[in-house]
Amino acid sequence: MNDLELLDDLLAHPSTWAEPPPELEDMVVWAVAEATVPMQTDARTRRRWRRAASALAVAAVLAATLVVGATVVIGSSSNGDYAGDLRATGLAPGAHASVVITHTDAGFRVNLHARRLPPLEHGEFYEAWLKDAAGTLVPIGTFSSSNGRVTLWSGVSPRDFPTLTITIEPSDNNQASSGQRVLMGDVHAR
Amino acid sequence: MQRARERVRPEPRTRPRPSRDDLEAFRRGDPAGTRALYQSYGRLVYAVAHRVLGSHELAEEATQQTFVRAWQAADRIDVDRDPAAWLATIAKRSAIDIYRREARRPKRALADVPADDPALVTLPPDLGALDAVWRVRHAIDELPADEATVVRLQHLDGLTQHEIAERLGLALGTVKSRSHRAHQRLAAVLAHLREAPA
Repeated sequence: MNDLELLDDLLAHPSTWAEPPPELEDMVVWAVAEATVPMQTDARTRRRWRRAASALAVAAVLAATLVVGATVVIGSSSNGDYAGDLRATGLAPGAHASVVITHTDAGFRVNLHARRLPPLEHGEFYEAWLKDAAGTLVPIGTFSSSNGRVTLWSGVSPRDFPTLTITIEPSDNNQASSGQRVLMGDVHAR
Repeated sequence: MQRARERVRPEPRTRPRPSRDDLEAFRRGDPAGTRALYQSYGRLVYAVAHRVLGSHELAEEATQQTFVRAWQAADRIDVDRDPAAWLATIAKRSAIDIYRREARRPKRALADVPADDPALVTLPPDLGALDAVWRVRHAIDELPADEATVVRLQHLDGLTQHEIAERLGLALGTVKSRSHRAHQRLAAVLAHLREAPA
């Protein structure tokens, strides 16, 4: 491929023109700030981190046990109509979640099992959203547990809104997403 | 006439390369330093990540990871040099790591996948192509906005110059001259691509 052909190829490729969303700048700044925290702590704080890490390891074992049990329970009651795994963003290293969505007469029941979400500051909460290909966000509920199972409800179908994201929101009377995504992923029909 | 044309030319859309103070602030973990570095290179990192991963969500994740890794290695930054090549390397590695992670993730039962499905053959992304994406995207962002618009309509949207003139409400000659100037700048960027990869 000569230079002109290469240039044509690059200019015709959508990735060359891909624009990051405006909120990504804040997400990057936040992710780097989060990464700096352990490095800036003093020895005493580092000891507290180690104790917390030990406690987290024990909690992880318990959580794994619960996951196995919960999987059996869900499997025996309902397999759901859609399912997916949510990945952590740079704002929440180590976080993850699984989701099972069941179509009912009342709407779509969203069973979310989240693990190791970052702790909330005073006045903050988690909010779940479904998003379609055009980027339209539909809120499907709020919660405050960083580890565990919550049930949310959606009035729109995951077939049309297949991307599920979890954000951290401040209590600021602003109904729009803060853009501070901690988990995201697609759900698929089973 | 030349001076008059330059006076009305829109500004390029990227911030200039970060200053020594910006890079020192980034090395200290100061959010202002991170913001400065992102404003200079965030779009380039994102374009490379999108080329590797083909998904906006994953490209966002790779972009965040790139800057976190850059900070973790910030003690190796030479604050007197342009960090573009160093950051481009981290961006490519971050995107490829996520690409490999995603390639390992089972998406559906293997029995349901045809034997010739490209997903069964995991090819590493072409690093040379990623260098080209970085440099061409940088060149596009350096173009005046009116020239970048013409190039985008011509190549990405596949419009003819007549159609571009109609859509933008411009004379055909104006579209031609903007296109010519923009392509000259882009070709100059690519002329050095093979000798000095990002």
